[in-house]
Amino acid sequence: MNTGRGIGQDSLSIPEKLRLISWPLLLLVTLTACVGFASLYSAAGGHMAPWASKQAVRFIFGLCGLVAVALIDIRFWMKMSYPLYALGILLLVYVDIRGHIGMGAQRWISLGFLELQPSEVVKITTVMALARCFHAATPEDVKNPVFLLWPLFLVALPAGLVAIQPDLGTALTIAIVAGGIFFLAGVPYWMFGTVIALGLAALPVLWHFMHGYQKKRILVFMHPELDPLGAGYHIMQSKIALGSGGVFGKGFLHGSQSHLDFLPEKQTDFIFTLFAEEWGLVGGLTLMGLFMSIIAYGYFIALNCQSQYARLLGLGVIVNFFVYIFINIGMVMGLLPVVGVPLPLVSYGGTAMLSVLFGFGLLMSAHVHRDVKFTRRGLDPA
Amino acid sequence: MAFDIFHRHKLTISGTQAQALEMARLRLIWVGMLMMMGYLAIILRMGDLCLLHHKSTAMLMGSGAPAETERPLRASIVDRNGNILAVSLRMASVYADARMVHDPAKLAQELAALLPKQNEADLFKRLSSGKAFVWIQRFITPKQEYAINALGDPAIHFQEEQRRIYPDANLAAQVVGYTDVDSNGIAGIEKFFNKRLAAGGKPLRLTLDVRVQHIMRQDLAAAIKTFHALDGTGLVMDVNTGQIIAMVSLPDFDPNHIGEATNNEKFNRATLADYEMGSTFKTFSIAAGLNSGKVHLSSVFDASHPLHIDQFYIHDFDAKDRPLTIPEIYIYSSNIGTAKMAESLGPDYIRDFYQKLGFMQQAPIEVPERATPLYPSPWREVNTMTAAFGHGIAVSPLHLVRAASAIVNGGILLKPTLVMPDNPDVPPQGTRVISAATSEKMRRLLELVVASGTGAYAWVKGYDVGGKTGTADKNKNGRYENHANISSFLGVFPIWHPRYVVLALLDDPQGTKATHGFSTGGYTAAPVVGDVIARMGPMYGIKPRMYITRDSIEKSMKPYLKEYKEGQALASVSTDH
Repeated sequence: MNTGRGIGQDSLSIPEKLRLISWPLLLLVTLTACVGFASLYSAAGGHMAPWASKQAVRFIFGLCGLVAVALIDIRFWMKMSYPLYALGILLLVYVDIRGHIGMGAQRWISLGFLELQPSEVVKITTVMALARCFHAATPEDVKNPVFLLWPLFLVALPAGLVAIQPDLGTALTIAIVAGGIFFLAGVPYWMFGTVIALGLAALPVLWHFMHGYQKKRILVFMHPELDPLGAGYHIMQSKIALGSGGVFGKGFLHGSQSHLDFLPEKQTDFIFTLFAEEWGLVGGLTLMGLFMSIIAYGYFIALNCQSQYARLLGLGVIVNFFVYIFINIGMVMGLLPVVGVPLPLVSYGGTAMLSVLFGFGLLMSAHVHRDVKFTRRGLDPA
Repeated sequence: MAFDIFHRHKLTISGTQAQALEMARLRLIWVGMLMMMGYLAIILRMGDLCLLHHKSTAMLMGSGAPAETERPLRASIVDRNGNILAVSLRMASVYADARMVHDPAKLAQELAALLPKQNEADLFKRLSSGKAFVWIQRFITPKQEYAINALGDPAIHFQEEQRRIYPDANLAAQVVGYTDVDSNGIAGIEKFFNKRLAAGGKPLRLTLDVRVQHIMRQDLAAAIKTFHALDGTGLVMDVNTGQIIAMVSLPDFDPNHIGEATNNEKFNRATLADYEMGSTFKTFSIAAGLNSGKVHLSSVFDASHPLHIDQFYIHDFDAKDRPLTIPEIYIYSSNIGTAKMAESLGPDYIRDFYQKLGFMQQAPIEVPERATPLYPSPWREVNTMTAAFGHGIAVSPLHLVRAASAIVNGGILLKPTLVMPDNPDVPPQGTRVISAATSEKMRRLLELVVASGTGAYAWVKGYDVGGKTGTADKNKNGRYENHANISSFLGVFPIWHPRYVVLALLDDPQGTKATHGFSTGGYTAAPVVGDVIARMGPMYGIKPRMYITRDSIEKSMKPYLKEYKEGQALASVSTDH
C-alpha cells in the first residue's frame, strides 16, 4: 500500500485531497468574483437583477464544479484532453455552420440556463490538448519542425474557426496563449522569430480579408480622433469615465459617466471602467492586485508540478487568464484596439466565468495530484 | 524493478534532461517578466488617466484661471453633484489683414492643410481680397492656434473668444437653456441668471441630478415611442425642500447646435405648457373636502347616475352605479362622486382652495419660461364641479407637482426651485394649506390607488409608492377631442415618509395590444413613474420595505371598501378616467 507522497497518489482519499486544495487561491478567486457582483449591481443602477444575481448563482455552481474538477486525478484529465478538444471543435463547427445557414453571426448555443459560447470553451480545451501533445514530446522533438506540425494544427483549427465567426479578438487570444505554451515547452527561439516575421509579412494579406468594422476599429485605435462620435466613441467615453474617477473614485453607485449610459457594454467588456470610475485609482489598483496575486499564486503552483503535462496545463491556464486581463484592461484604457474580450471573473457572462473556473479546477487538480507518476503517454506506470 | 527505473531516471537527468530543465527555467522567467511588464504598462496607464487626465476635468469644473481679457469666462452650470451641464472654454478665432498678405496662394494652401473645415480656393479669395479684416475661422483648437502661429505670417492675427459647451447635449436642454454666439444667455437658466453667470466666478449649482434626469428622459422617451405619443414631460421634486431633481420635456434638442433646434423642441413643457390635468386633480378636491371637516373618509356620495348640470352630463369612465365612499371615489376615479362632493362644500370652497395651492398664478421658478394658468372667470357652480375632477382649469406640470408636494409633505406649500440654496441647513419657508391629519389621510388614499386602483402599474415592490392617474380629453381649439388624451401619473414615494413626487405626462398616447388598446394614464404614464422610482430609489439609499403587500394596504382601509374580500385583490388593473 502506498502511503508516502511521490509514489502515487491514486490512493488519496477525498478528505485528503480536499486538504491539499489551495484554499487561499480559492479565496482570491471568490474575492475577485465579489468585485464583479458589486460592479454588476451598480451597473444595473443598484439592483441584483438582471446581472448580479444570475452571475452569483453561476459563480456558486462554477465554484462547486471547480472543486469537483480538482478532486479528479490529473491523469484522467490528461486522457480526456483530446476528446474534450474534439468536443470544443465540434461545438465551434456547429455554430459556424448554423451561422451560414442564416441565423446571422450568432456565436452561442442556448442551453436554457446558459448561452454557451464555444469560443470560450476552446480557449481551455486547446490549452489541454497542447499540454497533452508536448507532454509526450522529447527535448529533441520540440526542436523538430516536422513534430511541431501537429501542435500547430491543434492551434490553427480552433483559431481559424473562431476567426471566421468572425471574432478576431478571441482568435488572436488563442494564438497568443498557444504561443506562450510553445515557448514554455522549449520551441527554439529562431522558430518564433520566423513565425513572427511571417506573421508581419502576412499582415497586409490579413488586412485585405478583414471586415470593414474590424479595419475601422484598428484605424480608429491608431487615430481615435478620426471618428469621435462613431467607432472612437467607446474608447473616448471609457477614458473620460476612468479619468473622472480620480484617485478615490466617485463612490459606489455614483459613477455618473457609466450610469448615464455614456459607457457602452458596461456590464461586460467595459466593467473595469465602471469599477474604476466608482472606486478610483485606488480601487483599480486593488482589483489589479487581486488579479496579480491569483496569477502569481497559479504560476508557483504550476512550477511545483512534477509532470510536463500538469506544468504546461497550469501555465497555460495562467497565461490565458493573464492575456484576458491584459487585453481587456488595455482596451478600456485605450492601450489596445477594441476587441470584445471580457474581464475574467468580473464581466457578466456565463461561459467565460465557467470556463475560467474550469481552468482553475484543472490547475487545482494539478496541484492536488502534483506528485503522481506519469509516463510519456500519460498512463499509469506498469 | 522500482529501483531500476529510479536509477535510469537519475542518469538521464545529468544529460540532456538537465539542459532541458535549465532551458525551461529560463523560459519561465522570460514569460513571468513579460507578464510583469504588461502589468506595469497597464498600471502606469491607469495612473496617467486617473491623475493627469483627472486634473484636466477638475479644471473644467472650477472657475478656471483668472481671466486675462476684460470679459471673464462665463461661469459653469453644474448639477447638484457637481457634474457639468454648461461650461465656457477659451478659444481663439483667427483673422487676417489681407492688405499684408504677401503670397495668398501659399498661405491659403498652408491654412487649408491645418483647418479641415476650410476650402483652399475660398481662403485664397478672402486672402487676396485686399480687405483690412477677413475672418479665417472662428473657434479653432489650441493645437490649430499653435500651428497657425508657427506659420509666422505677419498678416495673421488671433482674437480670444469664449464658447459655451454643453457636454450632456440634450439631457437638460430646456432647463439649462442656451446662449447666443456672444455668450449671452437667451433661454432657461442661462437667461434667468445671465448677469450672475456672465460675471464669472463659482459655478452655479442646480438642484437637478443628472442621473435621475437621465432615467426620467430615457423612460419617458421609451413611453413616447411605445405609445406613439406626440410629446411628453416628466418632473421629480423633493417634497420637503421644493428642489427639482429632474425636469424633462420631450422632444428636446442639442444646445451645442442651437441652429438646428425647432420651436417645438425648445418648448419647456414642464413649466411653460398649460394642461387640463384630469383626475390627478381629484387629489386636491378631495383634500379640500377632508380638510374642510365636512367630508370624512366614510362620507358617501351617490354615483348611481350620470350627473346633469346645465347642458353638460358628467359620466364615470368605469361606472360602479352605486353610492361610493371617499376612498372608493378616489381609487375608481369617479367623476360623479367627486363633483357631488365638491358641490357639497359650497360654491367658493374649491376655488379658494385652488387659489391657496397656487393654481391661479404663475409658479415661481428660476427660468423665464413660466405658464400662466387658465381658469374660468367668472367661476360658476358648474366650474366647481368640473374643476374638482380637473377639467375647465389648466395649469403647468410644475404647478401640479408643487401642489401635490404640499398635499403629501404634511400640508406645507413650498416654493419650487432649480438652484441649490447657499445654506442647506436653513429649512425652506412655506405656507400651510391643509392640516397634517388631512395630509396623512391623503397619503393613505394615494397608497391605495397604486395597491388596488387605477395606478397599479406604478407598483414597485418594497418602495411603497402612492399616486394618482389622470386622463383628460385633449382640448383643441376649444373642443374636446374624444380620442385624444393627456395621460399622466402623479407618484409619491415612499408614501409614509414622502421624499419625492414623480410626474410623467404624455400627450396623445395611442393604446397598444399590451394595454388592450387603452391610452389612459394608468396604462401609459404609471409604468414610467414606477420604473423611475425603481431606479432612483436605490440610488438615494431608500430602504425597501418588502413586507408591504397590496393586500395589507387594502386591509387597512377595509371599513371603507365595500368590495373588499380577504385574500382577493380588489380590482386588478382597472381603467381610469
